[in-house]
Order: sequence, then structure tokens, then C-alpha cells
Amino acid sequence: MTAARDEALFDAFASLADTLVTGYDVVDLLQLLVETCQRTLDVAEAGLLLADTSGDLELVTSTSESTALVETIQLSAESGPCIESFQTGEPVAVPDLAGVGTEAWRGFRDAALAQGFASVYAIPLRLRTEVIGTLNLFGRRVDGLAARDVRAAQALADVATIGILHERSFRASDLLRQQLQLALNSRVVIEQAKGVLAHQHGVTPELAFQLLRRYARNNQLQLADVAVRVVHRTLLF
Amino acid sequence: MQVADDFDDAIRLLRDYSGADADLAGVILEVVRVTGASVSTMGFLAEETISASDRSVARLDEAQFDLGEGPCWDAVSTGAPVSLPDLRAAPARWPALEAMLRSEPIGAVHAFPMLVGSLAMGALDLYHVEPYELDDVETRQAAAIAEVLGRHVLRRALVRVVDREPPRDDSPFSRRIVHQATGFVVGQLGVSVDEATLLIQGMAFSTDRSMREVGQDILNGSRRFEVRENMIEDER
Repeated sequence: MTAARDEALFDAFASLADTLVTGYDVVDLLQLLVETCQRTLDVAEAGLLLADTSGDLELVTSTSESTALVETIQLSAESGPCIESFQTGEPVAVPDLAGVGTEAWRGFRDAALAQGFASVYAIPLRLRTEVIGTLNLFGRRVDGLAARDVRAAQALADVATIGILHERSFRASDLLRQQLQLALNSRVVIEQAKGVLAHQHGVTPELAFQLLRRYARNNQLQLADVAVRVVHRTLLF
Repeated sequence: MQVADDFDDAIRLLRDYSGADADLAGVILEVVRVTGASVSTMGFLAEETISASDRSVARLDEAQFDLGEGPCWDAVSTGAPVSLPDLRAAPARWPALEAMLRSEPIGAVHAFPMLVGSLAMGALDLYHVEPYELDDVETRQAAAIAEVLGRHVLRRALVRVVDREPPRDDSPFSRRIVHQATGFVVGQLGVSVDEATLLIQGMAFSTDRSMREVGQDILNGSRRFEVRENMIEDER
């Protein structure tokens, strides 16, 4: 690896780290990651897949939106280096695509070769035992990536993994905080719902409360849940 | 009323407080020798004064709720005490609030956040008729009391959730009427809760009345909003 590429890689790390510190959008972070790989490593195209809630890999971002590339990556996610890297949590190197003899990978191999790719590398997005997706790098030459480039790609992927997991845990704890706050302040929304029903039925707030409670009991719902829906006008009675 | 002789007694009493919420301000005044004190939930918990030693400090809190500005709000949002040792000499930080309080005999205000971890459950408000600076000991003690109060009001809110049925709300400072009126306006105009709150807030400010008074008028039908050619107007 040349000094200029080391320099470019160093800059890429710095900007990824900076993005993490100053607040970020995950999609932007991942786009930055694939573009960095394309720019600093010897790869033609790159694509990143994350597992969805049911564990299926989905393409989140790639260096090109071309249908052929997207389809190739999807084939790799069904049966190819991508899914293997995701399942094993280890990098999978295919330095010479043409030499792949595995029958199951044939669809992926033919599609990749048809686009002029000669090598492919799949890097897991992993933190300890948790694998959340894979980074896929396509080269035009056989032996496209040196071992050192693979390590650099893994390091970039690690930074992105931390960013994604951090954002997820923040979102989860924020949701929990909101739910707790709503529960603790349920009296407020119940009073508001009494007001809505008082207007709607032309009754006093006391009578409106009886209506609210009766609806909740008859439908075996929590009073506060019914109140939220009344106030948001998604429930009328 | 339970009486605390000094700071340690007060902390012990508040840590395990089982008395009436209304008496909390009195316990605090046994320790910090200012004219008045109030305890209000706000921030993480809905705005509500749960104890106020006199009418002026209750008015101070209500004005801050109605305007959405003031030392309490700053204490809650920054997590640090806010001190105004000489309210009248200080340059106006909250013009609307200060105008509203001009008729009240308030010389100094000190607001302490009631924190549980990083979440503010409310604020402890202290006021003095004359300008008054809290010394280091008083500041530390008030901050410690505020912290214990934070846990008390959180526990109180949790118990209410567990009890399911809303308890009888007969507090003289209850803002129930504002919440009901907010719902009434939601039903009347088909607007969101936030928009309805803003309408009531704006009307209270422009007519120089509290949101609770405006809320009462809305509920008894003596004041209502109407949509006319895309403008919301109020009809008396």
C-alpha cells in the first residue's frame, strides 16, 4: 500500500470517527463507509447489507444503484460469500471468482463475472459475538485486495458497526424513556380525553369520565390507552 | 405537620416521607430560612405544584407553567440551580414572567432541579421578599433536599400508575382543568394537543389571566373558539 493510500485511509478513519462524535445519520455513515472503500482500497464497487428484524440481509447502501450490481449482491446474500460471512462472522475472500466451483454459488458467480468482476471479499459487521451485516467489495482484478487491504476494510467496518449499534441502543432507550414518561403522566392524557368527550357528547367532564371508563372496561383496554386514542382522534365513541 | 429541627432531620424525614404532600414546603422552610418555598413536578413529569407555602410562591410557579419560561424551567433543562438574588435589579431575563410577578412581593428567587439520575422530575423554588443570596451551606442543603424530593415525586408518580384508577385530585393547584379544556378544544377544532395548548396559552397571555381561569371559561362554555375562513377566533 502506498503512502498516499495510507494517508487517504487515515483521513477516512478521521472522518468516520468525527461523524460518530458529532452526531450522525446512520445511512450517511454507511454511505461514507462504502465510498471510502471504493476510494482508498482497490475495489470497483462496494455494497453494505444489514440484517432486518427477521434476520434477513437487506442491501442498505452501495456505490452504485445499477440493477445488475444490486442483483449480484442479492444473489450473494442468498447463496454466496455475503451470507457465509454473515453466518460465520468471519471475512470471506474469493480472490479468483472464475475458479469458484461450488454449485450453490453459481448464480452469484455468473452474475458477478458478467459485470467484469474478478474477485470479491465479504467483511462481517461484527461486535464481539453479534453480527449485524456484511460489507461486500468487488474487484476488477484477480487477487484484488492484499491482506492488508482486507484488514483495513475490517477496521472501517468495525467503526461503522459501533456507530450502528450505538444509534440502535440510543433509539431503544429513548423509546423506553418516552413510554415511561407517558405511563407516569397518564393522568394528563386521561383529563384531556375527558375534555374531548365532554365536547363531543355535550356532557360534564365527570360524565365524560364514566363514558371513558365504560369503553375501556367493555373492551378490556387500559384507561390510558383508550385516552391516548381519543385525544389523537383515532378512536371515536 | 411533621417538624424537622435541622437539615439532617429534614433529609431523614423527606427520604421516607409519608406525610401530606401539601406540608412539604413547610418542612423545607424549617431548614432554609427564606420567605417561601414550593415543590413542583415538571420536566419528565407533568407540570403540577404539589406544595406551596404561600400564595405568592404558588403564583410564581403557575406563571412559569403558563408562560413556559422562568428559573424553574432553566433549572430543569440545565440540571443546575438558577439563582436570582436580586430579581428587581437583574436585567430582564424573562420579560413576560417578570411583568406578571411585578405585583408580587418577591425580591429573590432560587430554583433547584429535582434530579433522579439525569432526568429532572421537577423543581424546588425558594423565594424571599427582600433580595437574598443563599450562602454555600444553604445552597448545598437546598440542592440535597431537591434531590431527595426528586425521588419522592417519582415514587409518588409510580404509585399512581400501579393504583390504575386516577386518585381524587383535590389539590388547590391542580391543572386538571387546563388538561380538560385542552381536550375540549381538540374536540372543538380538530387540532392537536400541542396546538390546543398553545391556543389556551396565547389567550391567557393576551387577556392577562391564568390558563386555569381560561380553561374554566372554555369548559363552562363562556368562551369558545371558532374556525372562520381559516382563522381561529374566540367568541365570548
